[in-house]
Amino acid sequence: MKKHPRFLVGLVAVAAVVTYLIWTGVSETMVYYLTPAELMAKVTTDPSFKDVGVKVSGRVIPGTYERVEGQLLHRFRVRDLEDPSVTFPVEYRDALPDTFTDDTEVVLEGRMDANGVFQANTLLTKCGSRYEAAPEDLKG
Amino acid sequence: MTVLGEFALWIALPVAIWGMTLGFTGGRSQRGDLVLSAERSIYAVTLLLMLASAGVIAAFLGDKFEYWYVASYSNRELETFYKVAGLWAGQRGSLLFWALLLSFFSSITVFTNRRKNREFMPYVAGVLQGILTFFIVVLLFAKVNPFERLGFAPANGQGLNPQLQNYWMTIHPPTLYLGFTSFAIPFAFAIAALLNGRLDSRWITLTRRWILLSWFFLSIGIVFGMRWAYEELGWGGYWFWDPVENASLLPWLTATAFLHSIQIQENRGMLKVWNMSLVVLTFILTIFATFLTRSGLIESVHAFAQELRIAYIFLTFMGTVLAGSVVLILYRLPNLQSENRIESFLSREAAFLFNNLILLGAAFSVIWGTVFPLVSEGVTGQKVSVGPPFFQKVNFPIGLALLALSGIGPVIAWRRATRRNLEKNFLTPVIAGLAVVAVLFGLGVHHPLALTTWGLSAFVLVIIVVEFWKGTRARARIEGEGYAVALYHLVTRNRRRWGGYIVHAGIVMIFVAFAGAAYNVDVRQHVMPGDSVQVKSPFGHTYTLTYEGLSTSVGRGQRNLMWQAIAMISVAQDGKHLTNLTTEKRQYVTSQQPMTEVGIRSTPAEDLYLILSAMDDMNGALNADSSAQGIDLQVLVKPLVGWIWYGALVLTVGSLIALWPSVEKRRVAEAAPTGESVAVGAD
Repeated sequence: MKKHPRFLVGLVAVAAVVTYLIWTGVSETMVYYLTPAELMAKVTTDPSFKDVGVKVSGRVIPGTYERVEGQLLHRFRVRDLEDPSVTFPVEYRDALPDTFTDDTEVVLEGRMDANGVFQANTLLTKCGSRYEAAPEDLKG
Repeated sequence: MTVLGEFALWIALPVAIWGMTLGFTGGRSQRGDLVLSAERSIYAVTLLLMLASAGVIAAFLGDKFEYWYVASYSNRELETFYKVAGLWAGQRGSLLFWALLLSFFSSITVFTNRRKNREFMPYVAGVLQGILTFFIVVLLFAKVNPFERLGFAPANGQGLNPQLQNYWMTIHPPTLYLGFTSFAIPFAFAIAALLNGRLDSRWITLTRRWILLSWFFLSIGIVFGMRWAYEELGWGGYWFWDPVENASLLPWLTATAFLHSIQIQENRGMLKVWNMSLVVLTFILTIFATFLTRSGLIESVHAFAQELRIAYIFLTFMGTVLAGSVVLILYRLPNLQSENRIESFLSREAAFLFNNLILLGAAFSVIWGTVFPLVSEGVTGQKVSVGPPFFQKVNFPIGLALLALSGIGPVIAWRRATRRNLEKNFLTPVIAGLAVVAVLFGLGVHHPLALTTWGLSAFVLVIIVVEFWKGTRARARIEGEGYAVALYHLVTRNRRRWGGYIVHAGIVMIFVAFAGAAYNVDVRQHVMPGDSVQVKSPFGHTYTLTYEGLSTSVGRGQRNLMWQAIAMISVAQDGKHLTNLTTEKRQYVTSQQPMTEVGIRSTPAEDLYLILSAMDDMNGALNADSSAQGIDLQVLVKPLVGWIWYGALVLTVGSLIALWPSVEKRRVAEAAPTGESVAVGAD
């Protein structure tokens, strides 16, 4: 390789382009992953944070789910996984995954609007790809 | 049977350790009796693992819910087919299945090499038994023993997740595992070469077909997974850049790089260290992927804590493999020098090397995107997330570069391409590519990424067709054969080369399909019976979908099914009735929520994909209440998506052509069993 600096330049260029792609990719698409408690804390201390896109994981509060008929709009409240007193309302305008119930852990991506309603663009339920249940539940 | 299976698994451990030890010591001391014993121990482990697997299957078939694994993945109502497939339905069985497949491949290797390549075989047997030992240790000591008992016997099991009760999901994991496990064979030969000092291209020649076989299984395994996601997950996509999907893509990317870089070593004696490193890296990634799938590790640090023991065992193994391989490569570094140098940018070596770098770049970006949230959390305490947009942004340009190279690489000259060589090979394809771009642009295709992809696809396809045409014509002239006969002889005389071209054509078709996604149409509407939805296809015609109401049934039909609600939709194209489609919600006895079944009408041009998103009043509908028939309907038009599956089929044909044993070589091999019978189809 020593005899061919031009070739080395080519290799370095490929590495540089890939690094650049990864770098810009991360900085442009990265979102904060917060708990509801952290999100509420940020929104209270810094009102401008409301426009920042975030990802939040929380649990749907049973009984709060309602579907607005004819508008493809879903509304529910989620609470913090550890602190049940921290809650906020969510609006979501897309098809719900099959695994959604009104007692699931969900991961939402979106932003808090001016009225304090979380507008979710994506909703994932968190039971992951294990597809298994704990057989200990079968007891009793 | 099950108790016997558990017993067999315990016996397999000392046998595997015995084989590993004898393989290495026998190789060092050159003692044939030790080596023979090591090789025979592989047959023994294979038999024991077969017994263990039979034990697991017997437990499933016998509804033995006192076993944790059976209780978690089966119930009395499960169809027999899925009970047998229970062996690989979950993590525990999968790990046993992994070891079983590896033992099969190991036995084949030992058997076919029983009278040849003896300088490699002691270490090959040792390495393979080492990997088997590792998996048996995991099964027995990492709290993932499939024979673990619950301590009580439930009346029934949890049942298999209905989303896994799908044909593609049944064959997807075994296919991937075939790919993962068969890659252990080239790895074992590479390590054997490092140990015995035979560092020319011999280990590559011996394992070339294993490499190709592994790559082929990885490829179609991934495609089967895409197909499953497309049919079963009900959101219209086939790839979500989920950590588990990424884990299976990583070894595919490095194996693809390896498949190309070994050709440089064989032809030009270069890249020896690089190839050693790639075979080690790919092997480690197959282990990593096995570990990551179904463990949920990347999701959060919490999952990590739950699986601490298995995580440590796996990380220790991967670390040991890595450290051991690095030490061996460094030790043999003086013997791994290149015999040649790259002379020009415009050469096949350079094209293959760029292909390698770009593939590794893609692999690195996928690893980075997958673990970045963990790294960020560890370093700054701030948890962040990168999702599909990141992977797309990085991998679109990378994919396009690879697409271009898949056309350039095979026809550019070795060493240094002359102006004449470039003109002769690339002038027509470049013109064809530009013409396709111009025509598509004229037809209203203005999406830059899609245009680039389709232009490059035309470029590559024309290169492949011209190559076939030139080869056939030359042969027809020289040998005086008809064109069909000439084509047949052309391909059979060098299966590897022409099979490779066909694989490239399959990959191009898959890229064509990916770019079609730029023109996906997505319409959502709330409909009552009699309502219609108009959807315009990017090809210009208009679909009219008329909702005809819900057909419900409760407690009938398939076993395990509690109720089902089928939305009936009549489809017309430009006013003419085309077909009827259904999309439904089903409730299985074994799951908490209803499942969505989508309705798909697939043509080469596009798929029409219907999703029953929600029902206004589920209970009303199930009671056949005519006023409770309103639904949310989602209609997707997905242009060219079917070409993924057609492309995978072409890729399969190409791989089989390249893998098929060539007749003449086999005759030679039979005449002289000690000869180079494995070395087929050299360029």
